[in-house]
Amino acid sequence: MRTRRARRVVFNGVALFVFAAMVFPVYWMVSTAFKPGSDIFANTPVWFPWHPTLSNFDNAIHRPHFWADVKNSLIIVSVVVALSLLLAFLAALALAKFRFYGRRAFIVLIIGVQMIPLNALIIPIYLVLSKAHQVDKLSGVIVTYLTFVLPFTIWTLRGFMLGVPRDLEEASQVDGTTRFGAFVRILLPLIGPGLVATSIFAFIQAWNEYIMAYVLLHDPSKQTLTVWLASFTGDRGTAWGPLMAGATLTALPVVIFFVAVQRKIAFGLTAGAVRG
Amino acid sequence: MKLRIIAAIVLAAALATAASTATGGTRRASASSVTVWVMTDAQNGWPGAIAAANAAFQKKHPGVDVNIQYQSWDTVLQKFDAALAANDAPDVIELGNSQTVKYMAAGAFSTIKAKNYPNSSTWLGGLKTSCSYNGKLYCVPYYAGARAVIYRKDMYRAAGIKRLPTTYAQFLAAGNKLMKKFGKNKNFSAFYEPGQNWYVATSFIEDWGGQLAVRGKNGKWKGTVDSPQAVKALTIFKSMVLKLSRASKTQDEAHPFPSIPFAKSRMASFIGNGWEWPYVFNPAGGAAPKSFEKKMGAYPMPSHIKGRFMPTFLGGSDLGIPINAKNKQLGADWIKAFTSTPAMTLIAKAGNIPNTTKLASVNAKNPALAPFARASKYSWFTPSAPNWTNVENSHLLKQMLTAILTNKKSVAAAAHSANKQMTKILNASS
Amino acid sequence: MSSRFPVASAAVAEPALQARRRRPIVTRLGNVAAPYLLILPALVVIGAVLGYPLYFMGHLSLEHYGLFQLLKHKGEWIGTKNYSQIFHDGFFWHVVARTLAFTAAAVSLTMVLGTLMALLLRELGSKMRVLLTAGLIFVWAMPVVVAVAVWSWMVDYEFGVANWLLTYLHVGNFNHHEWFATTWTGWLIITALVVWGAIPFVALMVFAGLTQVPQELVDAASTDGASSWRVFRDVTVPLLKPIFVILISLSIIWDFQVFNQIWILLSGQPPPEYFTMSIYAFTTSFQQSQYGLGSAIALVMVAILLVVSFVYIREMVKIGEAE
Repeated sequence: MRTRRARRVVFNGVALFVFAAMVFPVYWMVSTAFKPGSDIFANTPVWFPWHPTLSNFDNAIHRPHFWADVKNSLIIVSVVVALSLLLAFLAALALAKFRFYGRRAFIVLIIGVQMIPLNALIIPIYLVLSKAHQVDKLSGVIVTYLTFVLPFTIWTLRGFMLGVPRDLEEASQVDGTTRFGAFVRILLPLIGPGLVATSIFAFIQAWNEYIMAYVLLHDPSKQTLTVWLASFTGDRGTAWGPLMAGATLTALPVVIFFVAVQRKIAFGLTAGAVRG
Repeated sequence: MKLRIIAAIVLAAALATAASTATGGTRRASASSVTVWVMTDAQNGWPGAIAAANAAFQKKHPGVDVNIQYQSWDTVLQKFDAALAANDAPDVIELGNSQTVKYMAAGAFSTIKAKNYPNSSTWLGGLKTSCSYNGKLYCVPYYAGARAVIYRKDMYRAAGIKRLPTTYAQFLAAGNKLMKKFGKNKNFSAFYEPGQNWYVATSFIEDWGGQLAVRGKNGKWKGTVDSPQAVKALTIFKSMVLKLSRASKTQDEAHPFPSIPFAKSRMASFIGNGWEWPYVFNPAGGAAPKSFEKKMGAYPMPSHIKGRFMPTFLGGSDLGIPINAKNKQLGADWIKAFTSTPAMTLIAKAGNIPNTTKLASVNAKNPALAPFARASKYSWFTPSAPNWTNVENSHLLKQMLTAILTNKKSVAAAAHSANKQMTKILNASS
Repeated sequence: MSSRFPVASAAVAEPALQARRRRPIVTRLGNVAAPYLLILPALVVIGAVLGYPLYFMGHLSLEHYGLFQLLKHKGEWIGTKNYSQIFHDGFFWHVVARTLAFTAAAVSLTMVLGTLMALLLRELGSKMRVLLTAGLIFVWAMPVVVAVAVWSWMVDYEFGVANWLLTYLHVGNFNHHEWFATTWTGWLIITALVVWGAIPFVALMVFAGLTQVPQELVDAASTDGASSWRVFRDVTVPLLKPIFVILISLSIIWDFQVFNQIWILLSGQPPPEYFTMSIYAFTTSFQQSQYGLGSAIALVMVAILLVVSFVYIREMVKIGEAE
């Protein structure tokens, strides 16, 4: 009993230290967002915003097109997450559960796609989308993001599917369900944590991407939040306070999304435990 | 139940995709709109001028949409290149005056006739040159910027400097006095000079009779930063920096902007542009209250030659119409509205040097801006080589300065290797 | 057994056989076509967006394509001259070596620290676990451009809080410290930044995998008297192998291509000592306006990456085929 308590204390202590070290830059960003200019540039760091101000947030929110850009980012991201989960689930099923001619080629393709540096493809992708009239449109950006999110999501879901013991799936087939029905009903809940992890990944990739959105979207009312954020670092100096405030606001939806899906992780865990 | 969830997701995705293509709307260039790319500087610094230009333009072209898209300096050219490649170029684009040569030489702009534009007979010579190539005119001057020494009146007084320096020797003497008085504070600089501020280093080179590059009779460009005059100037620059400045030797004049540590009293002076003045106490990004302005002053950097100022870099921007723009006439009309006297006056009042000498008097009485306009009397400009922008993009001059100031290389050796690299880039086939 | 009781065994086998035979041919065909239908949507998306651009990039690499050519929409064919120029350039090989060294360091650190973090998460009670997970998500959620901005602010020459803290803790005098003047301290910051940003993802993925390790196996092994390290090594790791392989290959691919962190930390003007392959390809294309040469560098980069990650990719394919 004593060693169990001591173990718990040690682990909690380590966890607290690790938490503090990892989160410090995030804390610095949020606290700077609430500090007035004189505190941001103080000679001795001001550790806690003792004189908090909302002026940075006010400045950030009232910059042009803020709400339009929030809407754009939300649309792009929700579509990318939904579509990538759907397409990746299907493709991962194929890879994990079927043997078919061309399977290896498909694997090499999706791995290879991730190795291509995005920056080198800016102009060629722009040309292709321009021909399809997808420049300056959210759908053009969505399709581009899908291309870069799919390989990873397919691969990861396949990995999670492989981790599920075969006999479960086979057991369900005895009572006459179709194979696909077995996939959906049995496999899906079991790879719950995998779905959550990949959806968070897709969300973050799409939410934070900058250069493609910048090049593909011209109209400032169509841009995403990360491009909006870049307007704070003009060539006339960085407005640190408003930048940190804008950054905090930009990071918020991801956190909300995580909190929303956090229950699903728990669901996946308990589902796994109940299966006896 | 799971199937229902999946169906719901698919439906939502379909709806959202439909929404995105719908809200996308066809904002493509059409005869009923004009697309303008200018930098965020206009959005933050002189929004009134933009509004005035739009109003004037709309009077002449009612029903035409003005689509202003603000760009940031560090990424605009990638976007512009992609747009050019896809024939998606804007109708008006702002370029830095040292970037125009590259695009003019490549044929990116349509020619323009000066007489169609307001105040063209009194355009600033330096800016007009940056818009000319092979005898033709390709863009319209927008605004210029000159640098001067921004200083703390109270610190100068406290160190016993009774008169502002008018020669370089006096400047050095003043600096020494300041270091004697305040130098014990390890953060203090008499003259804050970031090591990679090549604009100031080149001012030294120009003052001592050197140049960055020259064009030979055979049309080939040759770097000249290792000429005896340039090496002498750089040696003097090095000794000044090591004596009077505690700024970083690996960063340039924009990272960070000196205005912030200036507001924290970490220096008595620095060389900056006119627009850096209000940034010191600008509450959105500055670090000092408005009352700080009373302690500030400015004067042109003195030359080592009596009666002159050290040549300052004449920075600025120009406005061009890309050759494959869809609405060239509308673009031209917008530029006319934006460079008209009323709009240009607002641009000048924001702390810039206007594109015409006719409006030089706008800032003449403003003690915060007048010294910068005065300093522009002696100026230098980047070589008009088509590949000069590539030299700047390689940052080789900045790295040369860091090597010199950190003693990694001797002045002569650093200048020589930078020169070799510069010559290679200048003559690379474009 | 069937030989001894042929009738009985036949009687038992028959219903199963019937069940199998009862599946109509349509389903059999459906089984064959199924995988292709399943991968079709993803394939269409990827092909549509990347097909032509990749071909275009390959074509570009065989051309001289500067700003002049860009405006005319036509390049000047020079065959493999771009590639021979790259291979004969000493600077290029330095960049390759540097990229490989950085990738090795970053990937190892990320995997080790990330796995340790996942193990820590497993040992925690639910409240601490939620706290630490939330912290990791916050780190992961920060846009890269912002994370880098905060880091560069923390090591700022004039006002950096890291400088102040290190001086305060008497580690040395870090006031006005030029972090990027010395190559190895500069790379230290860059690596720390990249690893810091990569840990949450690895930790969360490994943790998700850990939760799928059936508790019975772990319990069985520990009741057999194995130490927790043995349990980890012999029970957990083999089960997590697919995930580790995925994470390592992805980390290699991503760290090899690192761009934003170096670019923004160094204010968009990294000196040659900080060039990785992606930076070299980018500056050649967009800053020197040598789009053909830049494309060639990018393609060589892809080739090198394929070679480097080949072992892992093969592992991944093997795991898939063992099914």
